[in-house]
Amino acid sequence: MATAVLGQDDRRLLAESSLDFLIVEMVDLMHRSPSDTDTTETDKEAAYFKLETLGYQVGMALVERLTKDRPRFLDNLDVVKFICKDFWIALFKKQIDNLKTNHRGVYVLTDNNFRWFSRMSGDGANAEISRQAYAHLAFPCGLIRGALGNLGVSTVVIGEVSTVPQCTFQIKINKP
Amino acid sequence: MSPTCQFPAPKPVSSPARQNNPLYIKNCSTTYPDLKCHYVAHTSIDLIEERISATKHADQYLGLLYAMEELAVFGYITNTRVKFIIVTSLVSDVSIKDQDMKNMFRRIHNAYVTLVSCPFHDPDGKQPITSPAFEKAMAEVTTI
Repeated sequence: MATAVLGQDDRRLLAESSLDFLIVEMVDLMHRSPSDTDTTETDKEAAYFKLETLGYQVGMALVERLTKDRPRFLDNLDVVKFICKDFWIALFKKQIDNLKTNHRGVYVLTDNNFRWFSRMSGDGANAEISRQAYAHLAFPCGLIRGALGNLGVSTVVIGEVSTVPQCTFQIKINKP
Repeated sequence: MSPTCQFPAPKPVSSPARQNNPLYIKNCSTTYPDLKCHYVAHTSIDLIEERISATKHADQYLGLLYAMEELAVFGYITNTRVKFIIVTSLVSDVSIKDQDMKNMFRRIHNAYVTLVSCPFHDPDGKQPITSPAFEKAMAEVTTI
């Protein structure tokens, strides 16, 4: 993940594949239910909630580190633009491909090649794959919500995947 | 610092959270009681709020907030609305350089970022900071 030259920088380096494995396994872990018979709808929601809360904490800590040397933000649009650019680059080495807003507190971020979906494939129909990929969106939604929350913007973030590897995140700013 | 001039020792360093309760207060002097540090910290928070709502400048370092009796208060606000306050005693023949203050705030900010990145740290902002690593970093900042 770090682009330091080996041997000349004292930052610790991490293999990117181990991060990929960790993320995938994390989702799987949350979905493993104690009884192997079947997972109900509430189990799936509980797993989603747990992953989203994890993402929230990580997002908050990440944004502390990333905004350390930056000048202060001017308004909510500035904050969302930061998420689309610097935050996304730090996490996924690319920017968000498309940002839409209705200027009334709703933003839609579209990523045409979501990095964590780039290695996923399935043998079912497209709709089936999208349904399974939805569980993997919980952590990124939490990341965005945590980042925005720590910058002072209280939001609700909903993720949608239509065709893998494209996904969208809808950010709704809560009225105070 | 040249050996002939006396650098005023920083007295309390406090880091209040976004809900405006102090997260960490360190009193480095023996002449001022802790209660005074709390009082100064709370009044400084009001001043910081005033300052950031009045001017829209985009700098994190706020500079000299105010001076009362013989104490000078410097403020710094991060993008995540955490405020750091350093109070020093004024010595009339020494002027405190902005650059030194900025360095001190930068080190406090680095220590705070390291603290928040720890997964065992609870960020709800209501409990004071009790991490030994953070306290060690604060001790290092205030001894220079």
